[in-house]
Amino acid sequence: MSAPYTETQLDALRELANIASGTAATSLSQMLGHQVDMNVPMATAVPLANAVELVGDPADVVTGIILTVSGDLAALVVLLIHPTGVQTLSKLLAVEPETEVGDSALCEIGNIIGASYLNAISTMTGLALAPSTPTQINDLLGAIVESTLAATVAQDENVLIVDSQLQLPGESCEITFMLLPQQNSANNLLAPLGLAMGGV
Amino acid sequence: MGEMAISATPGAELVAIGLGSCVGLVLIDLRLSIAGLAHIVLPDSMGKDGPVAKFADLAVPALVESVLTAGAERRHLRAILIGGAQMFITGSTMEIGVRNTLAVRQALSYADIPIQSEDVGGSAGRTARVVVGREVSSQAVGGPRLSLLSPDASPSHGRGTATRMAVARDLTGGCAAAALACAVALALSGSIRI
Repeated sequence: MSAPYTETQLDALRELANIASGTAATSLSQMLGHQVDMNVPMATAVPLANAVELVGDPADVVTGIILTVSGDLAALVVLLIHPTGVQTLSKLLAVEPETEVGDSALCEIGNIIGASYLNAISTMTGLALAPSTPTQINDLLGAIVESTLAATVAQDENVLIVDSQLQLPGESCEITFMLLPQQNSANNLLAPLGLAMGGV
Repeated sequence: MGEMAISATPGAELVAIGLGSCVGLVLIDLRLSIAGLAHIVLPDSMGKDGPVAKFADLAVPALVESVLTAGAERRHLRAILIGGAQMFITGSTMEIGVRNTLAVRQALSYADIPIQSEDVGGSAGRTARVVVGREVSSQAVGGPRLSLLSPDASPSHGRGTATRMAVARDLTGGCAAAALACAVALALSGSIRI
């Protein structure tokens, strides 16, 4: 059941995430009217025990925005934003943070990033992907990440984490976002690239 | 996630930061300063291998075995459950937290280990902290630290419908058992995060 990913497969997922998060950065930049940079995404398979710390400090209180993906790929898209980032984004969108309008604006950011990221993946792989409306939670990074892992990849011995970071130059704002395919669903991403795991 | 730690050193800390749908299972010996903490992720191994603390059905017997190996007495063992929240709803994978809690309770009942207290359910993440021989507590973001050993544990914080019961019981320090060789991490001092 547990899927050992080859370096070639991880490279392909990294490249997929690279292009997709580039698209997401462009969309976010248009929405905010501010330059958005991205770093080189990470696609890695790590033991479950090390997964949360790879994403961040479990004790940090962060805002998490979660989209459920259905269609040809079952997955979760998870955005994590630290409080300073929430302040910055709210300022750029001219909304008050921690109000109904502020929360809804953050969810809209989740929508834009998630939709453009998934669109790019869809274009590259030919998969039909349907994101849900976003859910927002403010809680411990550890609790958010472990719960999303438990709902997706935790059955596997080594869990696949595809994670990208967007930054706003000149502002302290970093958005981490992760694509967590449901167990065995990563194959749906790899198959159109000719890199499916054995038997598919 | 999916790990466990045991300590027979009075005052040593075992910590699981940010338990969401996962359940932190604490086993204590009411007489001796011996405690174990497992970070349980999923309810059922369905015959699979994996880190022994990952699945409730495997974690409970493994944690019991480990604290017994560290010198605890089975009849003095008590369990404390922390976590099992539902942080968000994702259609097909609802209620992992609830299923985790039920699976841990069931496995404890099967192992004949009474539950001392619980801070489970709701929608908030929690941090579980065990100070061996002294304290077991749970804390949600912005909430008070809830002592799950003291008699006056109050069931009045947290979001959602957390269920909580606390049974008054003093954890008398007692003598530290000799630290026996143990298959899992054995805390000799300081703080262990799992």
